[in-house]
Amino acid sequence: MTAPAIELDGVQKRWGDFTLGPLMLAVPRGAIYALIGPNGAGKTTTLDLLMGMGEPDGGHIRMLGSELPRDEIEIKRRTAYVSPDTGYQAWSTVGRAIDFVRGFYPDWDDAHCARLLKEFGLKREEKISALSFGARTKLSLVMALSREAELLLLDEPTIGLDAGARHQLFAELLAFMQDEKRTILISSHQLTDVERFADHCAIIDKGKLLIAGRMDELVGRFSQVDVRLASDPAGLAGVRVLEREGDRARLLVDREAAQPLAAIDAEVINEVPMTLEELFLALVQK
Amino acid sequence: MRSPSLPIGPISPAAPGPLYQQIVEAVTREVASGRLPPGRPLPSLRTLAEELQVSLITVKRAYEELERAGVIYRRQGLGTFVAENSADAVRRAQQGLAREAMRHAVALGRQGGLADAELTRLLEEALGNKRGDKR
Repeated sequence: MTAPAIELDGVQKRWGDFTLGPLMLAVPRGAIYALIGPNGAGKTTTLDLLMGMGEPDGGHIRMLGSELPRDEIEIKRRTAYVSPDTGYQAWSTVGRAIDFVRGFYPDWDDAHCARLLKEFGLKREEKISALSFGARTKLSLVMALSREAELLLLDEPTIGLDAGARHQLFAELLAFMQDEKRTILISSHQLTDVERFADHCAIIDKGKLLIAGRMDELVGRFSQVDVRLASDPAGLAGVRVLEREGDRARLLVDREAAQPLAAIDAEVINEVPMTLEELFLALVQK
Repeated sequence: MRSPSLPIGPISPAAPGPLYQQIVEAVTREVASGRLPPGRPLPSLRTLAEELQVSLITVKRAYEELERAGVIYRRQGLGTFVAENSADAVRRAQQGLAREAMRHAVALGRQGGLADAELTRLLEEALGNKRGDKR
């Protein structure tokens, strides 16, 4: 088996009151890996650490077989990154911003860049100050995808994109993934898109990893079960009470961890599968 | 009397069938089991829409189907209630759902080129008739 594209080994970062980790995470090579979590969960902090912005207070980060921070330059040479900060105004036009950025990367592909600009409806002569928020996001995607990078880190690339542009984005990401050595780590709040396009998923909340795994296994592992109860389900392994009304309860059941509901004399009335979004809401519930 | 909304559901885009149909199935199931007895009020359209996090149209469509089937009835200004003699209506509603499911099964079978005899055998098998298991 090839080494994971990204390995977080007990990574920790403190930021005032906020503590990220310790995180254990392995992003397999050749996968689109989604990192999801509520606002303030630590997604951007995690991606920033991978981009060498700040050093972890503990643990190790390995990327593409190399070690951070020791091999930062080598890793960055093979990694493209899209951040939510799209402040390219200093270069005045789209074309000038692109010409500035392309100079840093030997793996820049001009023909591909031209095609992407067309695809996303951007023109070189357009003033960056006049671009909408979504168009600026598209510009930073063009910049990341114009390189022959092995690893693509995307921090909230769907913000400000309409349905059509999101579709284009994911089409480009799947095209990028035609080369099976490549890997994408994406953070996004568009859970319907993520469920459809990502192979793996990790859910983090308040700096901690709640769950991670293959998307189909993750979503298939959980279901909502309506039951009639004779006794209290509290404390039953793998079961969380989502709602309760008299003797009726709606439970979130983790099939992998769950004790049989018969143990609490529960009569199962209905069992329904869940979307990633429903699972997310149930897991990060207060 | 309290209008229970928890028994109606759960519904999910991940479950088979459109959301309104999942609501129809849930109400029918509760009425059939007697857990929603005749005369019991159902939640208002708005309450149930909020509870299930779906549009008013979705709940309205479900209630209209249930009313047409005779499982529930509406009284202007009073609300929606489980029908008095709902046993037949429930039977009809379940029959409708089963018919839909069978049509779907037949369409799938025909797509795969299965002959009617083969489809009948599969039905026998689903019914648990041992005879159907043999060829």
